Amino acid sequence: MADVLDINDSVDLDVEDDGDQGVLRLKDKVLRRKGRGFGTGERREHEKKGYESVDPGDYSDESGPQKSVEGWILFITSVHEEASEEDLSEKFSEFGPIKNLAINLDRRTGFLKGYALVEYGEFEEANNAREALDGGEILGQTIGVDWCFVKGPKKNRRGRMKRH
Amino acid sequence: MATSSSEFYLRYYVGHKGKFGHEFLEFEFRPDGKLRYANNSNYKNDTMIRKEVYVHPCVMEELRRIILDSEIMQEDDSLWPQPDRIGRQELEIVIGDEHISFTTSKTGSLVDVSQSKDPEGLRCFYYLVQDLKCLVFSLIGLHFKIKPI
Repeated sequence: MADVLDINDSVDLDVEDDGDQGVLRLKDKVLRRKGRGFGTGERREHEKKGYESVDPGDYSDESGPQKSVEGWILFITSVHEEASEEDLSEKFSEFGPIKNLAINLDRRTGFLKGYALVEYGEFEEANNAREALDGGEILGQTIGVDWCFVKGPKKNRRGRMKRH
Repeated sequence: MATSSSEFYLRYYVGHKGKFGHEFLEFEFRPDGKLRYANNSNYKNDTMIRKEVYVHPCVMEELRRIILDSEIMQEDDSLWPQPDRIGRQELEIVIGDEHISFTTSKTGSLVDVSQSKDPEGLRCFYYLVQDLKCLVFSLIGLHFKIKPI
């Protein structure tokens, strides 16, 4: 039986939160600016509104994996550009039924872009696949396997309200 | 998590103001891994879709690779078509000590690209935007189990 997840509304009570500071700090450090987009301050009207997120459930480990609505998603990198869906599903289905598999193409070349998303229903399946297949090979190329989503910093969860 | 030297920021916006109000799609990746996605189309439903999720550093690293491979930081928007009533695209990236903030009109097809004054630069932009959308739609679509757009 699938767990029921709450979809939360996260409300930014304070626009100047840590995330914004991080972005401003990064922009301050640059040496070169280029483009016509500088100095047009008319946008952002929607930014202050709340963004929905999936309930992190357990708040203990902020760098820990975040469950998605239907399961646990892994992010696969360094996938060979000529790998097939079967190459991936064969490897990953050893650890449990794959609920979703997304392999995106490079829009210019038509070959694989190099990353893929694999979703399992259960945490254990995803975690076992992650531990076993990270550093493994597809078509002779070493792949990276890790969680796709993390819970994120705890402080950003203040002010989050449940929708009823 | 990520060290300051590998930190970067990316924001993409495409939209227009018309008879259905301000319709747009926007996403951003912040240095702390927060991905924000907003899609406002008043045509089909009047509520804006706003989603956020923190991605793992391995996703940020892949995004960084996609940006660097595209060589977008070497381009310049000075010869690209100006945003117009049909629409506006914005791409803002901060990476290393460089900050680009490009704007242009909506790109209909590759024909528009090749007929522009900077086909090479615009093609680079065009493909990068497609690859970015593709990544974001997969991340948001799978995480929230929605079909964006």
